[in-house]
Amino acid sequence: MSDGADQNGLGWGAAWGIARRDLNTRFKGLRLLLVCLFLGTGALAAIGTLTAAIESELAGRGQELLGGDLEVEVWQRDLTPEEQAALGEIGEVSGGTRLQAMASAGENAAPVELKAVDTAWPLYGALKLTDGRSVGAPAAGEAWLAQGAVDRLGIAVGDSFMIGGKPLLAAGIIDNEPDRLSEGFQLGPTIIVAEDMPGSAGLLAPGSMYQSKYRVAFKDGRSPDAVEDRLQARFPNAGFDYRTRDNASPGADRFVSRMGEFLTLVGLAALVIAGIGIGGGVSSYLEARRASIATLKVLGASSRDIARIYALQIGAAALVGSGLGLIAGFAVTPLLAAALQGLLPVESGFVFEPAALLIAAAYGLLVAMVFAATPLVRARKFPAMALMRARVAPLSRDGRALAWVGAGMAAIIALALLTARQPLLSGGFLAGAVVTLGLLALLGWGIRKLAAKAPRPANPLWRNALANLHRPGAATGALVTALGFGLSAFVLLAAIQSSINGNIEQRVPREAPDYFVLDIPRDRVTAFEQLVAAEQGEAFVRTVPSLRGAILAYGPKDAMIRVADLEEIPEGAWPLRGERGLTYSDNLPVGNRLIEGSWWGPFYEGEPLVSVDAEFAEAIDLKPGDYITIGLLGIERTARVANLRTIDWESMGFNYVLVFSPNAIRDAPHNLAATIDLPDGAETGPLLRQLVRNFPSSSVIEIGQVLAEARVILGQVGTATFAAASVAVLAGLAVLIGAIAAARAVRTYDTVVFRVLGASRRQVLLMQLAEYGLLAIILAAVALALGTGLAWLVVVQLFEFAWLPNWAEILGVLGAGLLFVLAFALAGSLPLLRAKPAQALRAL
Amino acid sequence: MTSPNNAPFAISARNLTLTLGDGDAAVEILRGIDLDVADGEVLALLGPSGSGKSSLMAVLSGLERASSGSLSVAGENFATMDEDALARARRGKIGIVLQAFHLLPTMTAAENVATPMELAGAKDAGTRAAAELEAVGLGHRLTHYPAQLSGGEQQRVALARAIAPRPRLIFADEPTGNLDVATGHDIIELMFARRAEAGATLVIITHDPELAARCDRIVTIADGLIATDSASV
Repeated sequence: MSDGADQNGLGWGAAWGIARRDLNTRFKGLRLLLVCLFLGTGALAAIGTLTAAIESELAGRGQELLGGDLEVEVWQRDLTPEEQAALGEIGEVSGGTRLQAMASAGENAAPVELKAVDTAWPLYGALKLTDGRSVGAPAAGEAWLAQGAVDRLGIAVGDSFMIGGKPLLAAGIIDNEPDRLSEGFQLGPTIIVAEDMPGSAGLLAPGSMYQSKYRVAFKDGRSPDAVEDRLQARFPNAGFDYRTRDNASPGADRFVSRMGEFLTLVGLAALVIAGIGIGGGVSSYLEARRASIATLKVLGASSRDIARIYALQIGAAALVGSGLGLIAGFAVTPLLAAALQGLLPVESGFVFEPAALLIAAAYGLLVAMVFAATPLVRARKFPAMALMRARVAPLSRDGRALAWVGAGMAAIIALALLTARQPLLSGGFLAGAVVTLGLLALLGWGIRKLAAKAPRPANPLWRNALANLHRPGAATGALVTALGFGLSAFVLLAAIQSSINGNIEQRVPREAPDYFVLDIPRDRVTAFEQLVAAEQGEAFVRTVPSLRGAILAYGPKDAMIRVADLEEIPEGAWPLRGERGLTYSDNLPVGNRLIEGSWWGPFYEGEPLVSVDAEFAEAIDLKPGDYITIGLLGIERTARVANLRTIDWESMGFNYVLVFSPNAIRDAPHNLAATIDLPDGAETGPLLRQLVRNFPSSSVIEIGQVLAEARVILGQVGTATFAAASVAVLAGLAVLIGAIAAARAVRTYDTVVFRVLGASRRQVLLMQLAEYGLLAIILAAVALALGTGLAWLVVVQLFEFAWLPNWAEILGVLGAGLLFVLAFALAGSLPLLRAKPAQALRAL
Repeated sequence: MTSPNNAPFAISARNLTLTLGDGDAAVEILRGIDLDVADGEVLALLGPSGSGKSSLMAVLSGLERASSGSLSVAGENFATMDEDALARARRGKIGIVLQAFHLLPTMTAAENVATPMELAGAKDAGTRAAAELEAVGLGHRLTHYPAQLSGGEQQRVALARAIAPRPRLIFADEPTGNLDVATGHDIIELMFARRAEAGATLVIITHDPELAARCDRIVTIADGLIATDSASV
């Protein structure tokens, strides 16, 4: 009689034999564990797969996305022959220009993004047209148009249209532009033309706002960063912006990284919530198995046998739940990819990322271990005597559970730190989750103690409601943790969602003008203003000189810091990167506020002066009296900082970090830019047509279109966050249901006894309402603080959006959550309450 | 330790006490029990409700540790064993039948009977379980779950489960308490027959004087002490 069992107990095989028999094939009793793990690992698997797929796409297609190994950009000028020769030494070069322009066809006009490319373009990949052709640059006099441009102009392939007064033939419609992502945010649909078209149409006159872009395909396997460093050293004042194939689309990279971090945190949150459900589920399951465990002990099972049998059952359920979660996570990835299509380079088909799935599975199983260990270790101690005595003494705590929980937590933290993009963020989040769990446990303990010390109400129903919070075996602790986390998840989601909506609805369109017009010739400003006034009498027009230049040096006169010498750009000093818009003015710009120094006033002709944005000045420690040197069309100009001012960036008008006194830069060739505010509901077609006709070299940006695109992007972010956070909320719901169902099982006995003793249905319902109501009120306050705190971190710190929560919506969602809790808690008692006392008694 | 006729004692208890709870809530359940049960003896434990007879059975069968005193059961020193050691000591050596059957609801009749033998590591547990169920008249109910069996059938399964490992000692706590008279009578007949075949010691708690009269010896418990013992009359 010793096969399969030694003197200490069962072997794993024999234990599985018993465990399998005792395990319901439909996992009855373990479904909460199953659902929680399914949701948690499913979320992490989907998130991990998606972000890994996008990142590998960004990394693997860097050359194609950038259109080269290295890109050099410069504003308002072409590269000098020396600069071009330097690029030619490195490899094959493709150059071109980018600018805003107006296209027109008959009565239709549309602002477009004009992209002029040479015959070498694209150096990597190919431009695909909707008719299936793979092409390069169009021939002279022809153009490839984005569908949006074709639609706006009302033309078809083979029709003619005009840009800058020059006729062009629509030769094809763009299906896939290989370097689209690296071109950045679009202010209009793209039209691709031959290299010399903008110049021949007079769009590149001195002072015009255009960008020259040169891409290089390296001859050999040299490092893009090393090449960038060498070019930087050779042309320190050229005002070049560089991009490499490893950083082809910094915006997308940053977005994916932010989004990935957020989604991973959501996944971890879902898992932590799921963990609470797992703990509750396993506790309930083992509680329901008390009699079986005691019977097995009567039959000779040791505590180790019990631990093995039930660990195997819980492990099997955990494996099935995680496995189903992995399958679901893998299966929903195409849906998520479809939601993000156009925003990020991601294939819409199935993506298999084994590492992402493994990490998700590891998280799921470790969380199951951490949260199941305590009830499992406790179950070892269920005494055989439970069969013979209705009530047994509370079980003592077992240090072994702590060891398992500690080991599991250490493994989770190690996994988070090893696999996270920002280990500190993930580590901090997990630490926060542990602290939160601890605080909720403390709160549960506090409520129990307070309820125990509170005076006992005379009414037996109120007395029982209060006693339910602290009596031996009360589920108050579990309920507080589960309800606290679940309700916090509701609040968190509502706060994030409403903040993102707030950013879309309130912040973006506020005070935005209807049009930006670029490249208005200086000598035709009056004609421009007259034209707008004639077409739209109530329009408000504001014009400013518009130049571009790079900051080359700054600081006290005798100790100026050269930007080229900086190893790292200081935090918040983004204007030091590449070229920026510059202007000059006699007066303080509208919407700006002077906070230090004084303005120079009209007709100033003294030392060249500059006014600097206070935030930027603080970032580089710049004070009035210091100096700034800029590179303007290849010439260095230095001006003294006269004052600092604050800018209302949200106004979306002309906002310049540097505003010079006119005598500082007025002599440089430049045009003017204008904003046009139209009265609500004004018809825009005639004005656009007149602008195209009379100002062919000027370009118009329709803010409405730009905002629509921004809304789409923010909407996609919103959808992705909503989808991910819904998983956390679903897990929260599962936990709530599980916790309430477990607590309800205990209440059944009381309910029946109260009914037998003559309590009315209303009285029993009131008793339960009092108990849950008290808990719900306390936890609503906790959830509000916890959920909004976390949401603030996500919205402000992670996404860098404004904190614009809709409190009515948040309170509404919280209220709905509370109602759900109360309704679910009470609904479970209804069958017992409907039954006659004798029937209920038999149901016990 | 041996009995006066030199047969070894299956149970030998000296000054056994059992106290539950601490401090003010402490309750003395057993207050000094001295009891020897010879190997193969059939003993009836009688006494009013709350007298301590079930607790005494729990201590004697190793389900509960005595608070003090010495206890030898089937040659093992139960007084010094912890819970797990007691569980190991029960395996295959002690069979227990309870009033409420306590079958594992998720297992079939055969699986229920096989479980204690499997816990003891027997490879032929399935065959032996089937044979034992056949012996108690349930050969046609092997794959039925407890919920599909009548009360009498459930108690037969419980009896088969207790006897199948061929224990040296069988404890039965009011085994007919949940059954009607006729079914209870059948179960008792079966239990006595199977016990005789196995040659085991039987300790049976009962309120039924007729059943007690069929036993070799009757011990009455009152207030945690042995009030009468037919062996010493």
